[in-house]
Amino acid sequence: MSWHDVLIAMLPENLLLAAILLLLAVEIVSGRSRDGFAIAFAGAAAAAAAACALYVHGYAGEPFPGHFSVGPTAFLPKAAIIALTLPVLLVSRDDFAESRFYVLLLSSLYGACLLISSDSFLTLFLGLELMSLPVYVLVLLAFLRPESTEAALKYLVLGGAATATFLMGASLLYGASGSLAVTAFSSALGSAQPLAVAGAVLVVVAMMLKAAVVPFHAWAPDAYQGASVPVTAYMATIIKAGALLAALRLFGTTPVVRPMTDLLAILPLASMVWGNIAAIRQSSFRRMIAYSSIAHAGYLFYAFLGEGPGRYAAVVFYLIAYGVMNLLAFAALPRSIDDARHDELDALKGLFHRQPFAALMIAAAMLSLAGLPPLPGFIAKFLIFRNVLAAGYTSYAVLGLVASYLGIYFYLRVIQYMFMSAEEPSAVHGRPRRLAFLASLLCLVPAILLSVFPGWLLDRL
Amino acid sequence: MADATLLNLVLWLPVIGIAVIAATPRGADSWVRSLSLAVMLLQLALTAILYVHFDPARAGLQFVTSRPWIAAWGIDYRIGLDGINVLLVALTAFLGPLVVAGAFSAIQKDVKLFYAMVLFIQFAMLGTFLAQDLFLFYVFWEAMLIPMFLIIGIWGGERRIYATLKFVLYTAFGSILMLAAVIYLVYSLNATTGIKSFAFADLYGSHLPLHTQMWLLAAFGLSFAIKVPMVPLHTWLPDAHVEAPTTGSVILAGVLLKMGTYGFMKLGFPLFPEATRAFTPALMTLAVISIVYGACLALVQTDIKKIIAYSSISHLGYVMLGLVSLDLVGIQGALLQMVSHGLVAGGLFLMIGMIYERCHTRDIAAYGGLAKLLPVYSVFFSILTLASIGLPTTSGFAGEFMALLGAFNAAWPQHVAGYDLPLVLAVIAVSGVVLGALYMLWLAQRMLFGPVKALHQPLRDLDARERAILIAIVAAIFAIGLYPQEPLRKTELAAREYQQIVMSGRGHHGSLP
Repeated sequence: MSWHDVLIAMLPENLLLAAILLLLAVEIVSGRSRDGFAIAFAGAAAAAAAACALYVHGYAGEPFPGHFSVGPTAFLPKAAIIALTLPVLLVSRDDFAESRFYVLLLSSLYGACLLISSDSFLTLFLGLELMSLPVYVLVLLAFLRPESTEAALKYLVLGGAATATFLMGASLLYGASGSLAVTAFSSALGSAQPLAVAGAVLVVVAMMLKAAVVPFHAWAPDAYQGASVPVTAYMATIIKAGALLAALRLFGTTPVVRPMTDLLAILPLASMVWGNIAAIRQSSFRRMIAYSSIAHAGYLFYAFLGEGPGRYAAVVFYLIAYGVMNLLAFAALPRSIDDARHDELDALKGLFHRQPFAALMIAAAMLSLAGLPPLPGFIAKFLIFRNVLAAGYTSYAVLGLVASYLGIYFYLRVIQYMFMSAEEPSAVHGRPRRLAFLASLLCLVPAILLSVFPGWLLDRL
Repeated sequence: MADATLLNLVLWLPVIGIAVIAATPRGADSWVRSLSLAVMLLQLALTAILYVHFDPARAGLQFVTSRPWIAAWGIDYRIGLDGINVLLVALTAFLGPLVVAGAFSAIQKDVKLFYAMVLFIQFAMLGTFLAQDLFLFYVFWEAMLIPMFLIIGIWGGERRIYATLKFVLYTAFGSILMLAAVIYLVYSLNATTGIKSFAFADLYGSHLPLHTQMWLLAAFGLSFAIKVPMVPLHTWLPDAHVEAPTTGSVILAGVLLKMGTYGFMKLGFPLFPEATRAFTPALMTLAVISIVYGACLALVQTDIKKIIAYSSISHLGYVMLGLVSLDLVGIQGALLQMVSHGLVAGGLFLMIGMIYERCHTRDIAAYGGLAKLLPVYSVFFSILTLASIGLPTTSGFAGEFMALLGAFNAAWPQHVAGYDLPLVLAVIAVSGVVLGALYMLWLAQRMLFGPVKALHQPLRDLDARERAILIAIVAAIFAIGLYPQEPLRKTELAAREYQQIVMSGRGHHGSLP
């Protein structure tokens, strides 16, 4: 390990760290709460650019051998999640101006970056916790509503359970293999040793808890609803991506065999079905997105059923497409003074006549989440189910596709509210915000590129 | 000048139109209307050039564009004209300006979005017909859903939300299973031959075991049969038609319903020839049930739009009958019947829209003696009624007669060999012609003749715009009815090729570039 390696290989992380320290320093020196948006945005943009540059350069290195390594397959998802944070920052500017919000958000992002590159259970655990802990506080920061406290507590308790499960699983795997390397997990997948299998199952369950897969999903609707819009957007995209990328790190390209197959087929399938059905009944936009994200976690975990080599491409493409379109919806969501009112689906009624651009953006996002072509969500879904079919699980693939059909209705209902319903007298008449508009443009450009030239990204995966 | 670039221009013109409409400021409604009409007319003119230059003596695709789109999966942007889609592309382009002009007075709400959606569905429909790559086909196929969802849902009648959700959920269910079949088909081609391709031409050559073919045909067929629609998957159609604005009904009846039969002809049957032959008795039975059942339901309706909606189910049953007969005359008749039905049903829906704008009801009982009040309207309505019945010299006659003849041609040898089912079915199918005459003539009698009913206001007869639309349709109906050999010349080679692929089971498109 040389300092030079640490500096270059961890450049994205280092830039995030620099932004965090700068935010803290400015606040301490000036002695009062200050607007930290500019520093945070510049830091994240620089980190995303650094990750892109390192990816293009093809840089690979191992600054902490056995614990932390980087390469093109790490830099691409890293660049993607840091870039996805940029619209979140833009959207949050109107709700949160204090530095503490940005410090917490960037810390969580730092954790997500860490786990993408982790080689051992130690760094993976560090990354997972660093990613999750700030979010408990972020949920609580939302206007300090009573629901926020409940949501944060629920999230904290279930997050703690996930942590405990993960540690238990990791220690069992350590006991079975004598190694803390993440490869201990993939070798446990095919092992006949009960200890190793139990450890692997516990680790998978922990990941499913973090990603909100049925039956470990109960925290998501409350946490999503309790948090403020930017935090919900962050949880639905980056935290979800973090949990899945951690799982990707663990599974690698190792083929999954029984009994793990059953776990990885049935729970995600239940997640798709339940997420899509429960979303139909919701009247809150954020709760609906929560159930939608439960269903999407199901599709994503399905990818691990598939053949090893296609897994990385399927998961990363899906996360990017899903993240971009989800954030597009959140950025275009009309603003209101009252956060709870902001959240009701009814408030979207007749939106097309008030803000046609916002309505069209939300519609595109909903159709993409529903997986209808030619939007990127379709290609992502195609990729996942192609892998599942190619691995020979025909009936699981068909069941999964039928489950995804169940979801079409509630996405269309949002469009129905916006385009086909008469405006409610109590409808929100907020002005479109400039930064949120910028955020939706920031999501729209990749959304169009992914729809028209999906091959460009797929060639790089 | 007729080359692949021109075909691309035809396909992408609506998208250019949408971009211009999006840049138009709010309130410029009449400019949006004329722009859409101009785009559609230009598209029609370019399509006419392509149609004239389409060489009937050459088998396979013409004016082909093929570019890698998603190279990693072997997906190409691949479009072209062949004998199967050339008439349907011409039909779509022909109906485009009529659909746009027909909505000038009816649509006053959200005009920009409306014409953007009409242009978008035009793009998606042409794309579906032109696509020669399964992935591209699926993308266009699904893309048709959204504009139709909005057209029915925003500008439709009272129960529009119910109708549009029913339409989308029915069709989307078929599509989801088709997607599973598409992935499976391409994957097995890759696994057995090593070819990574979604091109139709490559997929025709995949030799799958019979039971796999049956499953895949069932999945594709479900999607197509919902679109046709074949009984018992038809229940979305009357609701969609009744609640849709005139434009929506015309697009639905004129082009969208042909997607199902086109899908069977282009994909379902040639991709899985052995399974098709195994399913032929079942498909024939369903086709005949659709013919008779649709006609019977049309008899008892009180809503004018519903009569035409059910008659569509009946008329498309002939198309299916002709396709599964695997007789050259029958296949050619099926192709002609698709075009004819598009013109006749499209025209009838336009006329229903015109009378609805004047009287605001579609209840037959409210009408009577229109011949005295609206002589011009009544003349056109009578002509379209007779065309729908299939009077000789109209396009409906040529299509239906040939489809039925094909069914008999195919049934006779089997009857001689001692297998009577096809002959029985063909005989029953003929009764659909009688029923068709019954419900259409009865409709015309109740609306046009008899005592004059007290209507809300003094009615004005058709204006110049409406007359121009109907003259175009009627001219096309007689042109095809009097000279069916002209369109049939263009489709003959393709029909032979289709017949040969499905009958021999050896998919082989050697002539493709």
